[in-house]
Amino acid sequence: MELANTLSQDGESRRGVLAHLERLETQVSRCRKKLEEPQSAQAVESALGTRIHELRRLRDKLRAEVKQHQARVKASTTNVEPDQTLEITEQEFLKRKRENVKAILQAYRFTGISGKLTSRGVCVCIGTAFEGNLLDSYFVDLVMQKPPQIHHHSIPVFIPLEEISAKYLQTNIQHFLFTLCEYLNAYSGRKYQADRLQSDFAAFLAGPLQRNSLCNLLSFTYKAEPEGQSFPFCARLLYKDLTTTLPTDVTVTYQGTDALSTTREEQRAAHENLFFTKPLHQVFTSFASKGDKLDMSLVS
Amino acid sequence: MDSQRAEARALEAEITALRRACVEPPAPGEDTSRVRKSFREIYQADSEGWELSKDLRSHLGHLESELQFLSTLTGISIRHYSKKTEDLTSTEMTEKSIKKVLQRHRLSGDCHMITFQLEFQLLEIQNEESLSSVITDLSIIMEPTEYSELSEFVSRAEERRDLFMFFRSLHFFVEWCEYRKRTFKRFKEKYPEAVHLSEGASSSCMGIRSPSRPGFELVIVWRIQIDEEGKVLPKLDLLTKVPLQALELDKNGVIETAPLSFRTLLGVLGIEATLESLIKSLHTEASN
Repeated sequence: MELANTLSQDGESRRGVLAHLERLETQVSRCRKKLEEPQSAQAVESALGTRIHELRRLRDKLRAEVKQHQARVKASTTNVEPDQTLEITEQEFLKRKRENVKAILQAYRFTGISGKLTSRGVCVCIGTAFEGNLLDSYFVDLVMQKPPQIHHHSIPVFIPLEEISAKYLQTNIQHFLFTLCEYLNAYSGRKYQADRLQSDFAAFLAGPLQRNSLCNLLSFTYKAEPEGQSFPFCARLLYKDLTTTLPTDVTVTYQGTDALSTTREEQRAAHENLFFTKPLHQVFTSFASKGDKLDMSLVS
Repeated sequence: MDSQRAEARALEAEITALRRACVEPPAPGEDTSRVRKSFREIYQADSEGWELSKDLRSHLGHLESELQFLSTLTGISIRHYSKKTEDLTSTEMTEKSIKKVLQRHRLSGDCHMITFQLEFQLLEIQNEESLSSVITDLSIIMEPTEYSELSEFVSRAEERRDLFMFFRSLHFFVEWCEYRKRTFKRFKEKYPEAVHLSEGASSSCMGIRSPSRPGFELVIVWRIQIDEEGKVLPKLDLLTKVPLQALELDKNGVIETAPLSFRTLLGVLGIEATLESLIKSLHTEASN
């Protein structure tokens, strides 16, 4: 365009035009050279890149073909030698095996005791559950020297860890761990029951549920029917054995004296029996579904 | 750029070799070995594969030793495990950012001499605040063993869907069984004439006979019970086999009250000392 414009402007003098053209030509070619030098290098490089890319693709395709070819050769000859075809499948095999072992290691969490090796020993994870509900987990970091020692742990302070470890840690780690499991699961189970009572059956409770940190002493005032006009019962549940989720002592009392005291007494006794044999929230589920009918049927 | 040129040249060379390898027929004999040799040359340049296998092998070795350790630590060996996951999240739930996943697990293994096979479903519901995991279905298959005590316990564990209780109780059960076996064996070795294990050391019975008083036998029945909550407790009973004449002579009812006395003794002395004192009482009598 520039060239054309220049031409039309200086159209009168042919010599002048030619000379001008010549000047422009040299100018242009000089410019081009300047531009082309780095460009050509780039072009070559990118062309090389594309070529390498293509070559790699071709190479990979041929390699695959050769591999098939080789497999056929392998199959047709009796002369068995370890070769690269096997190496590939062995890798596949190793990978699969590794995934399998990894999965099994993870599956240990379903036994309630899983663990991870550390530089000094093992970090054991203890899972807790109550009737299918998976609850909190705790860890014990053990240094596996003689005798084994607890390095860190997340066991609540009120669990008698020291007592358990003094008894069993040095003589029988397996027994130590399962005993700890028993304590932790029982604690989680008691806590779960109390929590469920508070959250799901608040309407039955006349006042707050009182509990200690171990959740092995619970006391609460309740009504067997949420809308009932009757006087409430007072329950006191004690779990003397720290490895249980059902109480060892149950006391149910009632306040006030009404005319139907024999019925009240029957209810009281029936409730006590229920608290002894069923998890707390299940007792209240039965209150909710059947009212007092259930208690009466138990008594008669 | 030089490196690229070099790579391109290397690739070209490799391609030529590969092309030749492809064209050459897979005939047995000389040709094959020549073809093979060229393959080896090609692949040896590419040591990546070897390195990968080496890494994999060492990683696998590490994981396997960890597995070995865990199985020793817990006394439970898991042999096979598989898991299937099903996403039950509905679009409505997604809007409320709730996730619902159902996992189906299959697991088999053994705890010492007892093998088990488990299948269970785990329902995981995650909302913004919390994650709840509930075992919704549990079935336990155990090979019929000599331990009849276990079958009732297994159905209770299934009913309660309490997987951890199952493993915990199984552990304590096996521990007690082994203790019982060790104790019986030890007494048999110490008092081979008096102690009789007619059903083997693993059974729940141990007979004590006095060589000088034929027909007279004490049988210890040592059961291992698992209660409602999964607690494992030993239960020992004493049975007496006494000839009729002896019973008639027993005016003070010693034989009749023996089982009760045995219970009292257990409470005071513990299992091993009680058994030993019983054996000794017959043994010394015999040697006198």
